[in-house]
Amino acid sequence: MTLLQLVLNGLVQGSLYVIVALGLTLIFGVLVKINFAHAEFLMLAAFAGVVSIDTFNLSYGVSVLVATLVGASLGVAIEFGIFRPLRKRRTDELRPLVATVGVSILLQNLALLYFGPNPRQYQSPYMQKTIELGELYLSYQRAIVFVVAVAAICALFVFLRRTAPGRAMRAVSQDSDAASLMGINVSRIVLMTFVIGSALAGLGGGLLGPMLVIEPTVGANIIVLSFAIVVIGGFGNVNGTVIAGLLVGIIESLVTGYLEAGLSSLAIFGVLLLTLAVRPTGLIAERVEQNV
Amino acid sequence: MRKPRSKTLAAVVAGGLMLTGCAGTTSSGSDDAAGERDSSAPLHIGAVLPLSGDGAYFGVAGRKGIELAVEQANAAGGVNGKDIRVTFSDSVCEPSGAKQAAEKVISDGVNAIIGDECSSATLGLMPVLEQEGVATITPGSSALAITDPGNDWTFRIMPNEVMQGADLAEKAADELGAKTAVILHENTDAGIGNAEVFQTFFEESGGEVLDVIGFDREVQDFTSVATRVAALGDVDVIPTYTLEGQGVNITNALAQANVTKGGGGEAIQLGTIWLPLGFEDKVAENAAEGYVRIVQFDPNDPNDAATSFLADFQQKYDEIPNHISAHAFDAANVWIEAAEKADSTDPTALRDALLEIEGFTGVTGTVTFEENDVETCSCPNERQNIELDTIHYIETQPGGDLNSLAW
Repeated sequence: MTLLQLVLNGLVQGSLYVIVALGLTLIFGVLVKINFAHAEFLMLAAFAGVVSIDTFNLSYGVSVLVATLVGASLGVAIEFGIFRPLRKRRTDELRPLVATVGVSILLQNLALLYFGPNPRQYQSPYMQKTIELGELYLSYQRAIVFVVAVAAICALFVFLRRTAPGRAMRAVSQDSDAASLMGINVSRIVLMTFVIGSALAGLGGGLLGPMLVIEPTVGANIIVLSFAIVVIGGFGNVNGTVIAGLLVGIIESLVTGYLEAGLSSLAIFGVLLLTLAVRPTGLIAERVEQNV
Repeated sequence: MRKPRSKTLAAVVAGGLMLTGCAGTTSSGSDDAAGERDSSAPLHIGAVLPLSGDGAYFGVAGRKGIELAVEQANAAGGVNGKDIRVTFSDSVCEPSGAKQAAEKVISDGVNAIIGDECSSATLGLMPVLEQEGVATITPGSSALAITDPGNDWTFRIMPNEVMQGADLAEKAADELGAKTAVILHENTDAGIGNAEVFQTFFEESGGEVLDVIGFDREVQDFTSVATRVAALGDVDVIPTYTLEGQGVNITNALAQANVTKGGGGEAIQLGTIWLPLGFEDKVAENAAEGYVRIVQFDPNDPNDAATSFLADFQQKYDEIPNHISAHAFDAANVWIEAAEKADSTDPTALRDALLEIEGFTGVTGTVTFEENDVETCSCPNERQNIELDTIHYIETQPGGDLNSLAW
C-alpha cells in the first residue's frame, strides 16, 4: 500500500512541477532565454488568488482563473519591459538573464513590503475532504490539481501540434529567421509564448497555493526543482519536461517515504548530474532541433 | 535558431540555481550614523534579525517589540538622560547573513546586540561578538550550544531546547500518557537539537520513538512524510520542529492521512514556541485539532506587565502581540536595565551588568541570568535565563479555538 501511495503522491506532485517547468521550457524553447523571474510570477499569482478570495470573496475556481491571468499579465510585462527592448538592441545572451534575476529580487522584495512576511493561507474548500480508493487516499485538492494539470498539459500539446499559432511557435523555435521569412510575425509569437508560459506559472500558483502557505519566498523553492526538471528533460523539450517532472515527483516521494526527506534534493540533483554526464542534451535528445 | 551547448546550459543553470537561492537576501538600512564606543555614549542597540526570507515573520515581530520598548524608554527619559538608539540589520535567518549583519551593526557603533531569532544564525554571529567584545541577548534561539560554557558574550532570555524539550517530553508521557512518538524536524541546528532532546527525555520516560524524520527548509510537500508516518501504525504524539510555513503543510498532510485528531486519527502533534499565535487559522479547517504546544506569552495573562504591554502594543500596531514580539520587548528592556545598573554603555560593562540581573519581571516571565541548577539541563551556564515560568501549554480545540492547559 505504502509504495502505491507514495507513487500516487509523487505523480500528483510531479504534475504540478510539470506545469511550472513547462512555462520555463516554452520560453527557453522559443527564445533560448531563461526567465529567472518565473518563480516570482508563481508567487504573485498565488498572492492574487489569496486576495481575490480574502478581499473580494471570489470562489476558489475563479481565484485560480485570476491567478492564471495575473501570471499571463506578468509575462506580457516582462516581454515588453525587458526582453523586447534588449532584443532590439541585439545585446548578448547574458543581459536578459541578469535582468530577470534583478526582476526576481525586486518582485520578491516588493511582495515582502506589500504583503509582509507572515505566511498567508490560500483558502480552498477542497483541502480537508479526502477521496479514499481502497487503502489509497487523495485529497480533493490534490485530485483537482492532478486533473487540471493533465488537462493543461494535453491542451498545450494539442495547441502546439494542431493549431496554426502552435505550429508557428514551433517554427520560431526551430529557426526564427526562417520563420520570419515565411511570413510568421516572430514578435507576436514570442509575446504569445510569454503569455502562455507565464500563465502556466500563474496556474501553478493557483493550484499549488492551497497546498502550501503563501509567502514572498514560496516560488523560489519550487523553481529550483523546475530548473532541474527542465535540464533533465532536455532544455526546451516539452515531452522531456513532462517525463522529467513526473520522474522528479516520484523520486522525491519515494526517497521521502523510504529513506530520508532531507535526501530528496540530493537524489534529484544526483539524477541531474547523471543526466548531464550521460546524456547532456537531456532525456529526449533526438528531438533537440525541434524542441517545442 | 541554434541551441547553446550542454556545457553552457549547465553553467547557466548552475548559476541560476545559486542566484535563485540568494534572491531573499536583503538588508534594511541602519537608521544611525557610525559612532565611537565609549562608556558615556548613548545606549545603542544593534538588532540582528531575519527581516526577509522564510523566517522573516520572526524578525518583523521582534522588531515591533524592540521599537515599542525603546520608544517607551525614550519617552521616560532614555538611559542616563540620553535617548536609546537602535540599528536593525537583516540576517535572513542564516549563519552567513547573521555574521555580516553583526559586523555591520558593530561597525555602526552599537554597544549591545539583540539577536538572532534563528539558532543557526545566532551561532553564525557569535564568533564576531567574541572578536569584537559586544554581547547579545538572543530572544528566540533555542539551540543548546548557544550558551555552552565559554560563550561569554551570548545570553538567552528564553528557555533553551533542553528546558523546553525535557518539559515537553515529560508532559507527553505524564499528561497525555504517550507511549510512542514520531519526531519531525527541519535539518537545522535548532531542529536537530530539539529532536535529539525530545528523543532522549521521552525514551528516559519509558516511551518509544518509532521514527525521526528530518527535512530541508526547501521541502514544501509533506504528503509522503504523512504516508510514512501513517504506515508506522499507532503513534501517540508527533513533536514537530519547523517554521510556520512548513508547519502548516505538515499539519494539513497529517490530517489528510488520517494520522492526527484533526483528520480522524489518534495522534497528537506537539510543538514548542516556533509557531506564532494564529497558526491554527492558516491550516485547513480542523486540521490542527488536538495540537498541543508551548507558548511563552499569553495575551490573557492577568499580570500587570503583560496587560500594559498588550494595551500599548495594540495601540501602536493595531494587532495582538505574539511571543516573538514579547521576547524581543523583554530583551530590549533587559539591556536598558543593564545600562542603568552599569551606569555605563561600555560593551564589557554592559555584558557584566547582565550577570547581575536577578528577578527582572518581563512580559514573558522572570529573567535571571545565574548559574543554572535546573536538573534537566546538562550544561550549566550563567548566560541562560533559568526561569521556567514562561512555559505554558495550549491545545487547539475543534474550530481553531485555543484552550490553556493547566499543566
